[in-house]
This record gives sequence, C-alpha cells and structure tokens, in this order.
Amino acid sequence: MITLYGNNRSRATRNLWMLEELGVDFERNMVDHTNGDSKKADFLAINPAGKTPALTDGDAAMFESLAINLYLAMNYGKGSLWPDSQAGQAACIQWTMFTATEIEPHTVGALIELIFKPKDLKDEAVAEACLAKLPPALNVLETTLGKNAYLAGDAFTAADLNVACVVNSLNMIGFDFAPYPKVTAWLKTCVDRPAQQKVAAQRG
Amino acid sequence: MIKLYGSYVSRATRNLWMLEELGLTYEHVSLDWGKQENRSPEYLKINPAGKVPTLVDGDAILSESLGINLYLADKYGAGGLWPDDDAARARCVQWSFWGAAELEPLAYGRIREFMFKKESERDAALVEDMAERTGPLLTLMALTLAESDYLAGDEFTLADLNVACVVEYLERSQFDFTPWPKVEAWYKRSYGRPANQKVQDARAPIAAQMMKRLQG
Repeated sequence: MITLYGNNRSRATRNLWMLEELGVDFERNMVDHTNGDSKKADFLAINPAGKTPALTDGDAAMFESLAINLYLAMNYGKGSLWPDSQAGQAACIQWTMFTATEIEPHTVGALIELIFKPKDLKDEAVAEACLAKLPPALNVLETTLGKNAYLAGDAFTAADLNVACVVNSLNMIGFDFAPYPKVTAWLKTCVDRPAQQKVAAQRG
Repeated sequence: MIKLYGSYVSRATRNLWMLEELGLTYEHVSLDWGKQENRSPEYLKINPAGKVPTLVDGDAILSESLGINLYLADKYGAGGLWPDDDAARARCVQWSFWGAAELEPLAYGRIREFMFKKESERDAALVEDMAERTGPLLTLMALTLAESDYLAGDEFTLADLNVACVVEYLERSQFDFTPWPKVEAWYKRSYGRPANQKVQDARAPIAAQMMKRLQG
C-alpha cells in the first residue's frame, strides 16, 4: 500500500495530482509540517529531514516531491505518464530535473517573500530578483511547446505534471505570463485535467 | 552510438563517470567554451540553451547532468547502478533530486567563489553562510550512512554517484568535513572508484590549465 505524508498546504498536493492521474490506491497521512509533528520520531523514521511530502510504498520510503512523482510514474504509469519510448522517458527525466534546478529555486524564492513571510519581513526586491531569473527557463519551455503540444511529445506525461505544478505556483502571485502564450495555453490544459481539479477542490 | 557533449571542465565529467561505470561504448564530443563551440548551429539543435552536457542516445536527447545519469542508470544499469528492488530505486531517484535541488546550489555557490575569484576577492560572509546551510544536509547524509555503507543500501548505486559528484565541489573548495566522518569516508570510497579515477586522470591536465588561466 502507498501512503502519502503531508497535508494540503504542502508540496504533497503535487503527489496527490500524480496519484490521481495514475488512479492507484493510496492512504493519506496528514502530518503537519508547521506544528512540529513532522519533527517527531515516527515521521523522522520515514524522512530524517523532517520535511513533507514523503511517500512509502511497501518497504520503499522516500522524500523530494518531484522525485516521488518520477518514481510513481516509472512504477505505475507505464505507457501513459511514463511513456514507452526511450525519447519520451528521457524527456520526462530531463524536464523534471530542469524544473528542480532551473525553475523551482526562483519560484520558491519569490513565493517566500510575497506570500509566506509576515508582512513586515517581505522584501519585494528579493522577489523581483528571483522572478528576473525565470525568463531563460520559460523561453526554453515556450520554444519546446512551439514544436509539440506537450513537453515530451503529443501526450501529457510526468514531464508536464512536474513542470506544471511548479510553474502554476506563479499564479499565486499574479505572474504575467503574457510573453509566453504557448506556456499559458499548455499550463491551462494541464491544470484543467480532472485529476488536478480534484486535488484543487480538496485544497480549497 | 551514445554521444556525450561537454568538456572535461564541465559537468560532463559526471556523465563520463557514469558511462565508465556502465562500461558502455560512447563518443565523447568535447565542446570548447572559449571557441563558442556550444553556440554552433548544430549544437543548438540538440540543446537550444547552448548548455552542456547533452546526451544523445538514438532518438533520445537530454540535458541536465544528474538527469542524464538517471536516464543512463535506468536504461543500462539494471541490477547494478540501478538496483532491482523498489526501495533502493526510490532512494536512487530521491537522492538524485536531493543532490540537484538541496545540495548543488550551496556546493556550486561555494566553488564559484573559490574558482572564479582570487583569495583576496572572495566573499567570506557568503562562503560562511553557505557552509552553515550545508551542515544540516551533510548531517542528513551521515544519518543514512550510519545505517548502510551507501546511500541506497549496501552497494554503490546511482544515488552515490550523483551525490558524490556534487560533494566534489565541496571537496575541491577545502570544505571541512571533520564533523561528518561518515560522509568523508563514503565520498572517498565512491569518488575513488576506478571508473571515476579514469575520468579524473584525463581531466587533471585540462583542469590545471584552466585554473592557471582563472587564478593566473
């Protein structure tokens, strides 16, 4: 049995999206990362870093949200979210790593300043500096989506899910996607999927 | 035939190590940054951003050094660098992303200060701050390495290769590993493997030349 650890205010929602896409059975453990529960011994046995999300699957235990999604796709999404072709699989790995290294550091940096910090500690200049680093990565996405409907080809895969869940976080801060029409259209197609809509509804 | 693009003074060395571990036949295309070979029209076709490394394997084309290693392990390392059981595979994927997302920004930030700046120009406060934030990450590794010799269990896997080639940046910038003896021992064990030794031997003269130019 698969258990996903983390509440709806954590990056566990990314993994929920993946689990819903795959249609596999799983349990939730809503361990809270804000009240100290994720630093207690029973959770530290699963993730010694005390962070959510984490996942157990039989005797497998892991953390890092994007890695969890890749693992789930590789194991349970063969022929769909983990495509059959070697080129498609390579694209899934590349784009997932690309979002972890080229996009998420900057989106998280901006979100911390503009959303998560208390009002008197917010530093808009830091947020701006983070957002200023995004155009090269978004241009790479725009170019790719000018060639195919999805990042790994003509069908929705783990590549799209993992990039979309990071890029979509920019909508929380009213990011201007106007210079990236292909990315805008693709993002809407991704987040409109029933699996993601179900997660969004739970999240409220 | 597998083709790997990127010189010995780029992250391509990570992939050369993996290719050597797997014993694969491949062609290494060493692009010269100085000559802008990474901006040639042919190269931009396979990597529009002009970054290295890039791997071409049949119709599969991918960038992101640690991602390339994950791809290679999955395709060619079954039972070895890509272990057979789900628990170890989960850890291979986890540690690869952890290395890229958690450790590399700090390790790379540090080595930039050491490589591209002379000692007198280094931002000591930045180096100190990054070292402080690196500590908890090494402690997390030490917790895992207290339970098994390697990150995904008792054998050397993709997890070790991908994290060791990030830890390399710390080692090359005189990071003090004293509080984390298990990490230091693991690093030496992993990094010193014959496959990587071969890559590092080929890299050494090229890297020395580059450092002379940078630190002149």
